[in-house]
Order: sequence, then structure tokens, then C-alpha cells
Amino acid sequence: MTDSTGKFGVGGLHHLGIPNRRQFFQLGAGAAAGWTLSGSALAQTERPSNPPNKPRGQVIAALSQEPTVFHPLMPGIEVDQGVWWQVFSPLWFIDPEGKFVPDLAREVPTIENGGLSADGLTWKIKLRSDVKWHDGTAFTAEDVKFSLDLINNPDFRVRSRVGHSLVKDITIVAPDEIHWRMEAPYSPYMSILSLTFIVPKHILEKVSDPNASPFHNAPVGTGPFRWGERVPGDHIQFNAYAGYHGKGPYLERLVFKYIPDLTVLYTQFRTGQVDYTGTQGILPNFVQEAKALKGRKIFVSSTSSVEHIAPNLEFGPFADRAVREALYLAINKQAIIDALNYGLPLQTESFVPQQAWSFQQGLPQHKYDPAKANALLDAAGWVRGSGGVREKGGVKLEFTNSTTSGNAVREQTQQLLIQDWRAIGAAMRVNNMPAAVIWGDYWQQSKFNSVIVGVNFMLGSDPDVTPRFGSGAIPAKGGRGYNTYQYQSAEADRLLAEGAKQFDLAQRRTTYGDLQKLIRNDLAILPLFQAFIAEGVKEGLQGFSPNINTSSNCWNVREWYWA
Amino acid sequence: MARYVLNRLAQAVMLLVIVSAIGFAILHLAPGGPLSQFAASAQMTQEDLDRVTKQLGLDRPLPIQYLDWFGRMLKGDWGRSYRDGEAVLSVISSHLGATLELMTTATIVAVLLGCWIGILGALRRYSLFDSLATVGAMIALSIPTFWFGLITIYVFSVTLGWLPAGNRETVGDGSFLDLLHHLIAPAMVLALVETAMWGRFMRSSMLEVINQDYIRTARAKGLPEWRILTVHALRNALLPMITVAGLQFPTLLGGALVAETVFTWPGMGRLFLDSIGYRDYPVVMGILMFSAIMVLIGSLIADILYAVVDPRIRVG
Amino acid sequence: MATVALSTAQSEPGQTAWRRFCRHRLALAGAVIIIILLLGSALGPYLLPFDDTYIDIMKRFAPPLSGAHILGTDELGRDVLARLMMGGRVSLSIGIVAMGIAMAVGVVVGAFAGFYGGVVGAVLMRLVDAVLCFPSIFLLLALAALTEPGLVTTTVLIAATAWMGVARVVEAQVRSLREREFAVAALAFGSSNLRIMFRELVPNAIAPIVVSATLNVANAILLESYISYLGNGIQPPAASWGNMLNNAQIYLTSAPWLAIVPGVAITLAVTSFNFLGDGLRDALDPRMNIS
Repeated sequence: MTDSTGKFGVGGLHHLGIPNRRQFFQLGAGAAAGWTLSGSALAQTERPSNPPNKPRGQVIAALSQEPTVFHPLMPGIEVDQGVWWQVFSPLWFIDPEGKFVPDLAREVPTIENGGLSADGLTWKIKLRSDVKWHDGTAFTAEDVKFSLDLINNPDFRVRSRVGHSLVKDITIVAPDEIHWRMEAPYSPYMSILSLTFIVPKHILEKVSDPNASPFHNAPVGTGPFRWGERVPGDHIQFNAYAGYHGKGPYLERLVFKYIPDLTVLYTQFRTGQVDYTGTQGILPNFVQEAKALKGRKIFVSSTSSVEHIAPNLEFGPFADRAVREALYLAINKQAIIDALNYGLPLQTESFVPQQAWSFQQGLPQHKYDPAKANALLDAAGWVRGSGGVREKGGVKLEFTNSTTSGNAVREQTQQLLIQDWRAIGAAMRVNNMPAAVIWGDYWQQSKFNSVIVGVNFMLGSDPDVTPRFGSGAIPAKGGRGYNTYQYQSAEADRLLAEGAKQFDLAQRRTTYGDLQKLIRNDLAILPLFQAFIAEGVKEGLQGFSPNINTSSNCWNVREWYWA
Repeated sequence: MARYVLNRLAQAVMLLVIVSAIGFAILHLAPGGPLSQFAASAQMTQEDLDRVTKQLGLDRPLPIQYLDWFGRMLKGDWGRSYRDGEAVLSVISSHLGATLELMTTATIVAVLLGCWIGILGALRRYSLFDSLATVGAMIALSIPTFWFGLITIYVFSVTLGWLPAGNRETVGDGSFLDLLHHLIAPAMVLALVETAMWGRFMRSSMLEVINQDYIRTARAKGLPEWRILTVHALRNALLPMITVAGLQFPTLLGGALVAETVFTWPGMGRLFLDSIGYRDYPVVMGILMFSAIMVLIGSLIADILYAVVDPRIRVG
Repeated sequence: MATVALSTAQSEPGQTAWRRFCRHRLALAGAVIIIILLLGSALGPYLLPFDDTYIDIMKRFAPPLSGAHILGTDELGRDVLARLMMGGRVSLSIGIVAMGIAMAVGVVVGAFAGFYGGVVGAVLMRLVDAVLCFPSIFLLLALAALTEPGLVTTTVLIAATAWMGVARVVEAQVRSLREREFAVAALAFGSSNLRIMFRELVPNAIAPIVVSATLNVANAILLESYISYLGNGIQPPAASWGNMLNNAQIYLTSAPWLAIVPGVAITLAVTSFNFLGDGLRDALDPRMNIS
């Protein structure tokens, strides 16, 4: 089993040359790894005050999904990561500005400081020696080794071994220093480790079943908050950990409250029952009203997902680029952004988030132009047949569009699309499914016609999209990755291979810029906008800081405090 | 009597086996699976998904999985949730309290109010009160529960601000008054349908009784009316209500599920919906079996009690 | 199982004329409302100047009586009245078709179980009991979440949770009737079993079947609204009363009419069918018992 894991990076790895010293430094430690949020969304500016000397007060954070996975190395979703940030610590994390910040490590390894060898194969991590687990046991290099070994333990139901499976020869040099060797240089491992939380050896080495133990429901970590109590289906409470090694925590208590309905969640925020609306935030239709609320602050921040229409490129009419372009031209994007999403998201043409260093400026701008779309289809030989639906060579311009059922805004988007596309002789039918169905084989094995979906294309925070657009990454064709669009392009493959070999930031920017131009030109996806989240915070609660480099904006609750 | 009970028990066990087989088949044959949620967030590749599928034993043939599950079940092991790894029984029991709180409150309200309306309606048959109660009960039975819940939220929480819009308690409070405050709206919504049912049943049962010969005889003997009503009529009219209580259980559970959805009540109904959504097979199966057992026990107790109190009825 | 006669209707001679009138008046009112709803849904859309799926994004959330749109517009600027009528078509057809399927299945299962008795009867009736073990909403939700949503699946799902009651009634009726003279006589005349079952025995149970059918329509409409409310029912852009309610949820505070209009329609339709069923029960067989 071990050999079959971690393959989605392999497409790139085969072509990785040995980087030179300067290049690896840039890749590993600079802004190269993360990206920043536009300044406006950064930390609150009102009435600067100082955090209290002692943890004080509590925050009730409302979530619309229930966190249930507390072992930070097991399969979990965004809300689960919100819990991991409180209880555990990674070796380092990426801050909102895209910089690596050491956490359990004393410093972030670079070639400059000797943490990384010039070939990127040897990693030497120096650890803090003042860190204690919540039960008082000292944190040492043994714990790091144990965590990495556990990830590669075939009996353990680990979330993913991508990157980790390359780690070999882990040696503990001292209680506060650990070394290992990588089988191949793999720069995204820096970002992967920034979201890999370290688990305690002294507790987990004693359990008989690594997949089910008391630890799973009463985790012990090195994070700013201790596990308090959990009332399943209702809430989880965390208490401040006085011995925390970093800044904070400034709150005595943190409660994650599960409120499954977004309307109720907002209502409770409005009436003051909750202090912060976490995942999935405030529904767009409430944002305007929420901004006018007294004593509440609303943050609208971009996430790294790009909302797009995913065509299955192997499906009949979508194989024709002219069809894709015509469909794209006929989308009234402005209506989708301004009316259905209340003008909150940023329109985009790329799969790369606009805050990323690798984002390509100046891609051709979408224009809503049904007339041009019609002309394009006429020219391409798509003739209007019965019922006004076009066809060409026996293939009708007819298809289904699917998304998660119950997603109100996407369902509205679909209905708008039906109307827009009917005007150019394309017939679309809605075929929505529950999440557990659509994202299974239907999506994974490319059984769909088209889907509306938001995807974070980045690998960690690296623009290597080989698993998304590489021709060897199509699961329906036995490929490794999730190129469910079934996009195949020799040029894209060449660029992806080249980008993976390059270690100079400027060169990489050009390569991935070219790739973005190519994908935009091929319309492998029909991008709608960059996704966003609107979160509300009670006035007086300081320190909230959206971080596009994490999956949960609860990443720094340790630094929150009441003014 | 003992034979009757044993016979009914044997039937119940057989039913449970059928129920489990049907439930298991439907659940596992349906498209989608517990790993789809991870595929969506794409932190996991196809290899990761295949590996976890295998580790969970979900790649085995369905009959094997069923027999495995059934065998463990017989030994008292209901399996573990795929989501939080807790034992299914403890997952269920941790959500049971909230549901019972809601169901008990609603039932008490419904029984008291419903019986009162029913008895009064029967005694003052065709009066304005009776007609209004009849029409009211029918409308109550016809209103979509969730819609009534939404309107309740709109009126009492959004517009008037008197009641919380959902949840069981204010986090960090949880005092009796706080719990009560949260309980009012969902219990009211759940009790509406129940009250209507109890009222209708009580009314007809009472009518049946007061027209019986022995009541007429009692009247003829000149016994005071209140005595006739309480001692003779009411006692006999309440008898069939025992059965109603037993058979009412599935409806009550269904209603609780709806009320829990609307009021984000952290009970079994929410758990069931979430578990289906995440395809948490062990928990869904656990809840199905648990509710089936409850339903069977309910009807069994109702039958036995009825057989005990009314020896005329003996069903084999 | 012991079932107790709990008929809501009484038929002793002492019934006053006023009361009888009142009862029938309610049933009558129900029938009239149903006819109005059916006609409105069937013909209404032809009389309106608006298409139920036409989106006018600039005219979102127009409140009722504010211009050309009598019941206002919805979140995509579509005419609510037009959607209500088209939704009525869907919801009422689902109710009626699901009832038809449930009746057919229930009658066939009940007739076979009651006629043959023995192992066949036992197996069939245990199956009925087993399905009845699931609270119908549980069953429905489980099924709905597991299948692809749509018109056909929704109808079939509702039928699948509604046939057991009829099966029980018919089984009891057929079992008690098959020993009576006319069934025995028919058998002696060499009629086939099927013929006896469906020509001689089932018609005798027609009264409870009709009543049960009416109540079933009411129930089916409610269930459709609930499945759609949870997002597993009728797919957009088609309207149903249930999915109109579902879409209205998040706009409850800003556009409450979007939730009130379909909710009232559902309540009205369901109440009417229930009253009709009640009236029919009184009229056809006052002693009958359907639980």
C-alpha cells in the first residue's frame, strides 16, 4: 500500500532536476510558498488595545458543519482543521502575508540557515525545547518522528501521504533536533508540513488500534487550547492552555457551536448569541444587512477556491472548443456576481487565486456577448434544429449541469444559465445530487456532463496543477490525480513538466503564466469568480485575521481577545 | 398470556431481521459513499480514497459486509461512526436526551390538551367549541410541520424577538429557564399535530362510551352527572388511548425529526440527517434499528396492556 | 395487531341535522377547493401574462400587489403566481399519482395476502409490518437522500412509503370475505382466483379504499413538500410547492411572502383532501376504521 500513495506529485517529481542553492531557498522560504490577502481584509484596525495579561472571557464560534475528526492526521474537512488549530501545532505555519512562521520548530529550515541541503534532499529541523503537551509531558523530536512514522504506517487511516511518503531515514539527533532525507526533492512539502499537526508519541504509542482510541475523542496536543468537553451534535468547548509556547491564548474559553442552518446561524449572530460566524459564514443575501448591524463587524475575504463551470471535455458537444467559447460568452457573469452573489466575489479568468505570486495578470476578459456566441456557433457548423436546439453531425447541443443539491445560490446560477444558454440554442438540464453522491464516482470518474463547483487548484500554496490538468492525472483513464475535466494538452503537459523543473521564481512565474493563458484560451474550465467567505465578528473582539493559506479562519484564535 | 407475548416477541425479532436487511441493502446500494466529502475537498487522491475504502472494509462484497455487521450486532457491537469514531450506541445515546426532552414535553402537552379538547367536544357535541375544535384539528393535521416551524421562527424570533430561533440552550448558560425558553417553540410545533390527533381520538372514544348502555343505565339511576363522567365514562374512554399512545410513536418520532431540522435541535433527527448526508453507514443503520426496536416495543406494550386491561380483546 | 375501533364519525340516529350539514358542508367545501385548485393549476398559467420560468434578474423580490405581479416575484424575478400554479400542477399530480401507485400496490398485496393466507399471507404481511417499522419520514428521507432527485423518483418514493395502510385494510377485508357464501359460490362455479379476488372480494372493500385514497393524496402532498424542503425533490427550474418553500427559506426575513404563499397553498390543499376523506368516510361507512 505504501508505494501507491503520494503519487499525485509524482508527475512533477520525475522531472525535478536538482535545484541550485539560491533557487531552492527562494522556493522554500520566501513569499514563494504562500500568498497574501489584500490589505483591507487584514487585522482589525479599530481602537488598538493590548491583549490581557491573563486569559479572559469566552468566544462562541458558530459553524454550520459539525467538526467530528479530532485526530489531525486522519481524513477531515475544513471545520475539523478549525479544531486542530486550537489543540495542536504544526512545525510552522503560513501567515496571512504568505510568510512561513516557525511554531514547534525553532526556525523555518532554509538553505541559508542550513536546515535544507542545497539539493533539497536533506532536512534538518531544530525544534523548540520549551514546549509541553497539555498533560505536562515535554515535546521532543521523538514526537515529530512518531507523527511522520504514523502517517506512513500502513494500518493507519491517514488522510494523505502526499510528500510524506518521500521521507526516509528519520534520525533524532537531539531531543530538539531531527533530520531526514527525501527520496526526491519536493518543494511543496514545505507547505504540506505547514498543515501537518504533530501528535503525542507518549499517548499514541500505547494504543492498540491507531484508528480508534480514547485520544480520538479527547485529543491532547501542544496547541493554545486544551480539549474541554464535547456534546455531540451541539458544541465543543476548549479551555485556555496556560503553558502554551507561543503568543496567547488570551481567551479563557472557546466554544465551537454547531448550527446546521445558515439562516439560523446568522439570526443567532444578529441577536448576539454567537460571537463569530465561522465556516461557512454569512449567506451573501444577509451581508448587506449584516454590515449595518450595530456592534458587529463583517469581513468579506477571498478564499483560494475558484468557482467555475466544469465541462467534461470528453462529453459530446464540449469537445468542441467553439461550443465552450460560445457558452462562456453567453454567460451573464455580471448578473451572477452582482445579483445572485450581491457583488461580493471577484470576477476571475484564472484558476490561480489573485493574491498568489503566480497569478497571471491581463488574461483575456470575459464579455457577455450572446450575438457573438451565436455567430461563433453558426460558423462552427452548429445548426438550430427542432425546438431551437443546435446540432452538428448528429450531436445535439444538449447537456446536464449538476451541483450539490440544496446550494441555493448555485441552483439560482443554474437557472440563469438555462435562460442565457437557451438564447444561443443550447439546452441545459439541471441534475443535482446530494454531496455524498455527486462528489463520489460521478465527479471522480468523470461521469458528469458539466458541474458547478468551487475548487482550490493549488497544491498547498504551490501552483503546480499537474494533478488537475496533466494528461496523466485523469482518474477515469486510470490516471493519478483529479483531472476530472479530462483535459489533455501536449502543451500544458510540457509547461507543467517545465515548471516543476524550474526553481527560479521569475522563470516559474512565466511558465505558470503561460499555462494560465493556455487554460484560459482552451477554456478547460469556464471560470465564474474567485470564491469568498463573509464572516461576522462581534465588535470588541480583536485579533481576527483571515488567512487564505489555511482552510479555516479560526487558525489564530489564540491571538483573539476582547478589548 | 405468556405464550401470546412470546409469540409477539418472536415476530418482532423476525421483523428486525427483515428491517435490517432492507435498510442495509438500500443504504449500500445507493450511489455515493462516506468518502465523497473528502474527494470534494481534494486533499485526498484516488489512491488515498481507495486505501481508506479498503481499510474500512467497504470494498468487500455486500452480503459479506452485511453478515459481518449482523454478526457483530448480535454480539452487541453496533459498530463505530465513520465520522468521529465513537461507538454507535454512545453516539445515539448522546443525542437521545435532546430528542426525548422534546418528545416528552410535546406528548405531555398534547395528551393533556388533546384529551381536554376531545372530552369537552364529545360532551358538548355540535357546540361551537366542538365545531371549531374539529376544523382546527383538521387544519393542524394538514399544516406542513416544517412550514409551521418556519412561520413560528419568523413571528416569534425574527419579528417579535421573544423566542430563540433554534438550539437547545444558550452556550454557557443551560439553566432550567434557559432550556425552557429554547424548548417552547419546537415543543409547540411538535405538539400541534399530536394535540390534534389526541383530540380526535379522545372525542370519538368518549362518544362511543357515553352512548353505551351502562352509561344510560347510570343516568337512569339518577347518579350525578360528574360521577358518571369521571368514574364510568372517562375510565372506559381512556382505555383505547393506551393503544393510541403505543401506535403513535412512529408519528411522534417522525415529527420530532422535522422539528429538530427546523429548530436545529441537537437530537436524533439531526443526527440521522447528518449521518445520511455523510453516508455514515454504521450510525444510519444504528438509528434505523433503534427506531424500529422502539416502534416494536411501543406497539407490543400497547397490545399487552390493552389485553391486560380489557380481557374482551385477545388477539393471537 | 390489535386495532381498536376509533372512528371519528358517529352514526347513531340522534344526530342533529345541523351537525350533519356541518360535516358535509366541510367535505363539500373541501371538494370545491380541490376543484378550484385543480382548475387553477391546469388553466391558470394560460391566463397569466408571465412564464413561470422566465427570469428577470432586475425585478427580484417585488412584494405582492406591487405592480403587475399579483403575488410578487421570487429570488430570480419570476412571477410567484405563475410558479404557484405550475407548482400546483406538479404537487397535485405527485399527490394523485403517488396515491394511485400506493393504492394499486396496497390493494394487490392486501388481496393476495388475504386471499391466500398461510405462508404467502404471512410473508407479505410481515413485509408490511417491517416497512411500517420505519417512521415514514425516516424511510422517505433515507430513500430521498440516496436517490437522484426528480419528479419520477419523488412520486415513487412517496408511494413506497404509503401503500402499507391500504394493504392492511384490504387484507383484513378480503380475509373475512373469502369465507362468505359468494366467494365460495364463485369458487364452485370455477372462477379463477384472480377473478374472485379482484371482481368479487376487492370491490367489497371499495369504501375504505376510496377514503384511504383521499387521505393518501393529502399525505403525499405533505411529503412532497417535505422532501423538496430538504432539497431532494423536484429539480429547478420546475416549480413545486415544496421547492418554492425550500427556496424561500433563506429569504424568510426579507421576503416572507415567498414562504407564506406556497405554505398556504399546501395547507389549503391538504386540509381540503382531509375534509373530503372525512366526509367520504362518514358517507360511505361510518363504522369504518383506518388508522
